Amino acid sequence: MLKTPHWEMMVVWYFFLGGIAGGAYFTAAIADNFGGSRDRRVAQIGYLLSLPLVAICGVLLILDLGVPLRFLNMLRSFKFWDPMSIGAWALGVFGLFTLVSSVLSFSSSESTIALRRKIGLVGILFGFFLASYTGVLLSATALPFWSDARLMGALFLASGASTGMAAISLIMFATGAGSGDGWGRVKKADRFSMIFELVVLAVFLALLGSAARPILSGQFAALFWGGLVVVGLLIPLVLEFVGHRMRAVGAVSAVLVLVGGFILRYVVVMSIQS
Amino acid sequence: MATTLAMFTDTSLCIGCRACQVACKQWNELGAEAPEWTGTYQNHSHFTDETFRLVRFVEQPQPNGNLAWLLMSDVCKHCAQAGCLDACPTGAIYRTEFGTVNINQDVCNGCRYCVSSCPFGVVAFNEDTGTAKKCTFCNDRIHNGLGPACAKACPTDSIQFGARETLVTKAQKRVETLKAMGFKDAQLYGADSNGFLGGLNAFFLLLSKPSTYNLPENPRLPQRNVVVDSLLSIVSAVAVGVGAVFAFRDRGKGDGDA
Ligand code: SF4
Ligand code: SF4
Repeated sequence: MLKTPHWEMMVVWYFFLGGIAGGAYFTAAIADNFGGSRDRRVAQIGYLLSLPLVAICGVLLILDLGVPLRFLNMLRSFKFWDPMSIGAWALGVFGLFTLVSSVLSFSSSESTIALRRKIGLVGILFGFFLASYTGVLLSATALPFWSDARLMGALFLASGASTGMAAISLIMFATGAGSGDGWGRVKKADRFSMIFELVVLAVFLALLGSAARPILSGQFAALFWGGLVVVGLLIPLVLEFVGHRMRAVGAVSAVLVLVGGFILRYVVVMSIQS
Repeated sequence: MATTLAMFTDTSLCIGCRACQVACKQWNELGAEAPEWTGTYQNHSHFTDETFRLVRFVEQPQPNGNLAWLLMSDVCKHCAQAGCLDACPTGAIYRTEFGTVNINQDVCNGCRYCVSSCPFGVVAFNEDTGTAKKCTFCNDRIHNGLGPACAKACPTDSIQFGARETLVTKAQKRVETLKAMGFKDAQLYGADSNGFLGGLNAFFLLLSKPSTYNLPENPRLPQRNVVVDSLLSIVSAVAVGVGAVFAFRDRGKGDGDA
């Protein structure tokens, strides 16, 4: 007797791109603060990637409304217990962070860099928020499976991190970043995120038990196991470990991680609504 | 605050005439919809953006092979702790001074979060207006000293309207009477303000257990998950963060590049 919200592809894209934006920014800020001078490129790509993604997210969020012109009504109230409410606020604030960090990423003056690093550390919080709140938003509904999934936010966050890193490495590959530019480190961080995501996913399923039926049986099961688990996590991990000396292999694995991240959002959002 | 108002739907008195359903449509100017074959006399299967009162026909197989009806005129429960209200990011959903829950159609931007946050699946999305719709407890009527149209139209007083406290006392007496008459499963649903969701301002008298009517036995506020799930997300964030710091940190060993 429950009703589903009929959220469709725009919401799936929003969740997916928001995850990448959060993950890319967080990777950039970590590289900026903890990496060496060779990781500058990682930082710049991450910042510059998160900016347009957040902008697209904003557009998707608005277009998906029943009355898009009333999107500012989202900011009429601030409910700290309501993911949809703080999510809208956080998206706006995070957008400002990505903008400032992107602009500052072109500067090489020491004082600007120091400022950018500090801003990055605060921005990380909003990046993490954007990557995970969409999961908590689903789990705070009345619908089965979504509301049974205690780790939905944690899983979306892990996926946001791994897809954000994959996106950065893919851009490095495409723009021909030289070997001194932190490629290996992004890849290393991505491997860790993927392994962590697998662990979270396993616990997520274990905690759900039979409540996970919408994604484990029926038409979405093949997509979940084949698309997310095998193609989106296991194969890229194997590729990373056997072929991490070859950049092309690393690029292929990054593409697969992105595909997996999209499938995760797709399967979760669509399975109980079909 | 004004007195908390309530609707008490006594299903034992319902004759399934659907006067309430029609009165609701008329007063609230809700459009006609194509009938839906549900396999029983019930139409529609659930609340829609044009159907806020709905008479449920629950068929009960009898030992002699016949079917008996349990009738129930269902409606938004105007929960004291309302999932839809807590979910609404625009503040379009608000509580009136009478304790009822209403959607301001001029503020709702159609995000549809309330649709998935009602434990009873009441709120429905209207494609034409792009907004969420549900029973208003005849907000215009109660602000002019009238009861809701459904209660007014009900010929058997199956739907009663009044001050919540008075109605609860009345309902409790009615349960006693019915029990004495042999309806041993007669029970109230949502009358207890210490019970689930802080009590329902549209509460019911049922002749069987709630699940027979497809009602949740123990509906819970969806927002109860936010704290735990957010904390677990933070744990996840710390884990990924620490991993990334380590990955970018080992400066001594060079870049780790191929
Ligand atoms: S029954 Fe649903 S729509 Fe009505 S007040 Fe409760 S949560 Fe809101
Ligand atoms: S659809 Fe309208 S009433 Fe429902 S939560 Fe969104 S803004 Fe509020």
